[in-house]
Amino acid sequence: MAAPGKGTDGANLQSGFNEQMIPKHVNEQHVASFNVVIDHIIGYKKSPRTEPLVIGGVPQMPLSREEIFIKGIFDSCAFKSGASCVVGFALGGVFGLFTAGVDPMSTISPETPSTKMVLREMKNRSLSYGKNFALVGAMFAGTECLVESYRGKTELINGTMSGAIVGGILGVRAGLKAGVFGAAGFALFSTAIDYYMRH
Amino acid sequence: MAQGELSDAAMKFVNELEMEMMVDMYNRMTVACQKKCIPAKYKDPDLTKGEAVCIDRCVAKYLEVHDRIGKKLTALSQQDEATMKKLQQQAQGN
Repeated sequence: MAAPGKGTDGANLQSGFNEQMIPKHVNEQHVASFNVVIDHIIGYKKSPRTEPLVIGGVPQMPLSREEIFIKGIFDSCAFKSGASCVVGFALGGVFGLFTAGVDPMSTISPETPSTKMVLREMKNRSLSYGKNFALVGAMFAGTECLVESYRGKTELINGTMSGAIVGGILGVRAGLKAGVFGAAGFALFSTAIDYYMRH
Repeated sequence: MAQGELSDAAMKFVNELEMEMMVDMYNRMTVACQKKCIPAKYKDPDLTKGEAVCIDRCVAKYLEVHDRIGKKLTALSQQDEATMKKLQQQAQGN
């Protein structure tokens, strides 16, 4: 094939050549047969494959459809967010239980509380802390997964950005200044935790 | 070879050539996408979400680029053939 001309105009490259550029042994039949072959390989006469192509360097068992499906679910953002929610709820419940034992409200009233009151306070605290932790965990995990999917990179700054977003959303309920402080604080906190976990 | 039709031997040749091209493309694509998507420090044997997403996008783009350039190449080649035919007819006419 002759050298392509100076086609710097994107759409239609003109392969302009003149007779001196053609090698002596090449005639029109050569070019025609080349065209037929490449039409079948990379051009418009390329036939679609009937069975999946198996190329690969290292021999390993190919994953079945079910395995790929399950892997897809476990790697999805929704699953990660949901898992964070559940784990956050459990953690928050345990934490609420603990604080209910250490620092209960019943120190306000002078009489010793009955078992029923203690249990009720434990339940209330656990539920309240559990819901908060679950919400924050789900939001943070979901945002981080979305940010990472959008950027396509795995860096520490993903944690900072998602911390800022979640902190901002949670803080803006109490005014703009609280929102800014919440964003900054949460971003710093999540960066610190990520740094500790990954280094 | 007849224009547009291939004999059996030619078809076998074309299939082999296509297989070779696929393997070469796979090798180059692996190298290119690994260089682009996976940073050099390995902390984890599993692919993180960002890396998996990057590789998906890299492969899709690579295949599309390959497709488009293939079509452009065949178009260029057709132009060459037409020009050569004209030149040869002129040469025979003279």
